[in-house]
Amino acid sequence: MARVDHGMRRACMGALVGLTIMLAPSTYGDEPAAAALTVLSWGGAYERAQQRALFDPFTEATGTPVEVEQYDGGIAELRRAVAEGDVAWDLIDMTRSQAKAACAENLLDPLPSELLAPAPDGTPAERDFIDGALNRCSITHSVFATVVAYRRDAFPGRRPTSIADLFDQQRFPGPRALQRTPAVNLEWALLSYGVPKEEIYRLLSTRRGLSLAFERIDSLENLHWWKAGDTPVRLLAENEVVMASGYNGRFFDAMINRDLPIEILWDGQVQEHETWAVPRHAAHPDIARDFIRFATSSERQAALARLIPYGPSRHSATLQVTTHPDSGVDMRLHIPTHPLNTERAITKDDDWYARSHTRINDYFQDALLDDREDSGDR
Amino acid sequence: MLRFLGLVVLGALIGGLAALAAVGFVSAVLWLNDLLLISPRGRMMFAHPEALAIATVLVPALGGLVVGQLHRAIRERRPHTPADVIAAVQTRRGRLPARAGFLSAVSGLVSLGAGASVGQYGPLVHLGATLGSLGAKLLKLGRSDDNVTIACGVAAAIATAFHAPLAGIVFAHEVILRHYALRAFAPVAAAAIVGHVIATNVLSQGALFHVADTAVPQPWEFAAFIVIGGLGALVAGAYMHAILAVGRWAARLPVVPSLRPALAGAALGLVALWVPDILGMGQETLRFATIEGAFGGFELVIVLVLKLTATALCIGMGFGGGVFSPALVIGTLFGALCGTLIGDTGLAGDTFVFYAVCGMVAVTAPVIGAPLTSLLIVFELTGSYVLTTAALASVTLASPIAAQLFGRSLFDIQLANRGLDLSAGRGRALLQSARLKHLLSQDCVTLNPRDSIDDAVASLGHHGHGEAYLVDDKGRYHGSVTLADLEVMRGRGQGQRRVRDCPRTPRPVLGPEASVWSAMHQLQDVTGEAIAVVDDKADDAFLGVVYESSIARAYLQYSEELRREEHGTG
Repeated sequence: MARVDHGMRRACMGALVGLTIMLAPSTYGDEPAAAALTVLSWGGAYERAQQRALFDPFTEATGTPVEVEQYDGGIAELRRAVAEGDVAWDLIDMTRSQAKAACAENLLDPLPSELLAPAPDGTPAERDFIDGALNRCSITHSVFATVVAYRRDAFPGRRPTSIADLFDQQRFPGPRALQRTPAVNLEWALLSYGVPKEEIYRLLSTRRGLSLAFERIDSLENLHWWKAGDTPVRLLAENEVVMASGYNGRFFDAMINRDLPIEILWDGQVQEHETWAVPRHAAHPDIARDFIRFATSSERQAALARLIPYGPSRHSATLQVTTHPDSGVDMRLHIPTHPLNTERAITKDDDWYARSHTRINDYFQDALLDDREDSGDR
Repeated sequence: MLRFLGLVVLGALIGGLAALAAVGFVSAVLWLNDLLLISPRGRMMFAHPEALAIATVLVPALGGLVVGQLHRAIRERRPHTPADVIAAVQTRRGRLPARAGFLSAVSGLVSLGAGASVGQYGPLVHLGATLGSLGAKLLKLGRSDDNVTIACGVAAAIATAFHAPLAGIVFAHEVILRHYALRAFAPVAAAAIVGHVIATNVLSQGALFHVADTAVPQPWEFAAFIVIGGLGALVAGAYMHAILAVGRWAARLPVVPSLRPALAGAALGLVALWVPDILGMGQETLRFATIEGAFGGFELVIVLVLKLTATALCIGMGFGGGVFSPALVIGTLFGALCGTLIGDTGLAGDTFVFYAVCGMVAVTAPVIGAPLTSLLIVFELTGSYVLTTAALASVTLASPIAAQLFGRSLFDIQLANRGLDLSAGRGRALLQSARLKHLLSQDCVTLNPRDSIDDAVASLGHHGHGEAYLVDDKGRYHGSVTLADLEVMRGRGQGQRRVRDCPRTPRPVLGPEASVWSAMHQLQDVTGEAIAVVDDKADDAFLGVVYESSIARAYLQYSEELRREEHGTG
């Protein structure tokens, strides 16, 4: 009986949301009907899931087509575009750290939290979103994690259980692949020394901590540096490496949809907030805000989390996550925010990165990359 | 019974207040450190290297300037420390001065915030104690209850700051109360629990040291831990004496006392440009010292010596702040050094962190005079029983050796230098600090030396006393005579002679500042009614007498109060 009620309520809410959206365009009647929303996102399985859970339903509800462009993160492009006054995107799907950096550089429009829809039970958005989700220029829509995945067949009779195993090529021999950025790698390197997660960024703020971390990463033999998010999956699939860092969503896609013999090591996962942000000088900022309201509703968040295992940023949405619509996999176990996966989860310190990334990057380049150019990303 | 339960509730209340104060203090220090570019995090997030270098020197110097001015508002011209709390409790004086207490807390806050190499637990303990004493004062409670509420504040502060309620309870007993009574235990425990609950809900601080997988040391390594304990006692001694020596040296400096901390701050900042590890409490340094390979062996020696010197400089020159956190860092560095040396022999396994923790305990336990507390801190922070037993091995030698060579703790040495000797226990300290003044009686026969013996006998007979005191016109004391001697002279027909010709009984006299303890000792050599109290600084002015019976009564009364406080149950 309760289930029926629940379903009824969801249907009603859906209708209500639909109605709101239908009514919305009339407010902006002077908007040309053919105007399309141009979204900059990350491509791959992530974009496919967004297409199915967010973009298509948005077009269906409002008639506004959504065009998607791809990027690999970074705000250099945005900085250039804003400076030239020629911004090609209305909405950017960016990590919170980059959104904060961009916001500080005045590259983004402020986003008031009033534009967000309340939870289905009426809880105001401010209380429904997780801590740190609502920022001046960005709104967190999901939590993803950078994790290590390993080939199940690489270490007969053994399984890596701790992030320290990433650096232990004695017990877990074989090539590794890591992202060509200081972020995440430095955190894992220090974790492998037994540093508690609460102290990671304090210690990384010292030269001693950085050298310890670089030393650990430098000790890896046969290391591939990757840049694009789908590279680690490919390297694992082609057996080029036995352990690789990567986004949990991509690994999930490879495991479930492509039956790749890999497994995720959740220990030491580094969680990041993925946000929506509207660049300055965007052509259609109003449509972008309408989309944000639509896409961050509990229903749409839960729909996205059923397709790709990113933790919703709303408490009400997390409760609604169920099984994958096609494969029937219980998605709750695969989202980074599930209690089983969060025992030693680090939340990436955006403020720290926002204000120190140039220096950290320089140290990283000097310490690790100069002599490794040749073994870089293929 | 009701009164006892009331005391427990009061303990919990004070615990809550002290814990909130501690939380506020700790958060404020962290905030200041980030803001003032002291914490590594703040420094890393700051983009301009030149400005950073200037701030490194300027911030501690200016902090020192502020601290120096603050101390001018305190009567003793120095921040109050746990030593003052110990003195107040051990002598049952209680009633910690609120104003000086809060000024000392602010001084500690500014010192820590500005990056002085001092600890935060000293100010926290003193702040908790001040709050406790204030509670007792407001409720007009007696001295025993005042002691208990002070202990409550202390326990809550430690429980909150370390997330270690057991260590808080034991610290209050081991260092502050120095006795164990159920009457005190229950309120102190209540305070510690409240502190712990508040800490776990408000402070999201990680464990001080985290031990991933506990390798078990080989049997012979326990012998090494014991030896580290012995050597650690020497490091602790060097640390304590460096602080005291800088204090003595600073007193001779031709610099106004209120400017000395600024001088120390500038010196600290200059050295920190080269070795930033010495700035502030050094939590990062402490963590690195538990990681094998984070420091080279030589580097450990340098940082250890510099940290020790920097702390001695900061505290000796008058910064506010504790000695515990720097001792933790110095001890851990020392332990890491031992671990590195033993690791170089290739005999030890994966037990580096054991050496670091053993060194830490071996240095801190003697400095604060609290071996059990140090052990419990290790236990509660690591939850590792193996690590605690290793620390136990180390503290076995550390504490007694340091106590033999240097004293029970830095606090005790400081108090002894100020004239309060706690080495023979509380009873003696209490009697030594109890003044005779209130026992002084004017109910005695005084005679002018020129009075005749007949008159003297008559006067004594009239007042019913057996002794008289000779006091001249100027009020000077000239010894005492007994009725028996006067009678002997009168019997010989010398009744018209002057009293001053009568043989005087050699009697010790007491000064106006004499303690009950010294009076009790004088009594052993005296047979008579009373002892004269004479101010030899005011030309032997006669102030009155103290009756033997009242000395004995006072002695019994103090002993009884102590007995009730220490052995009573409710």
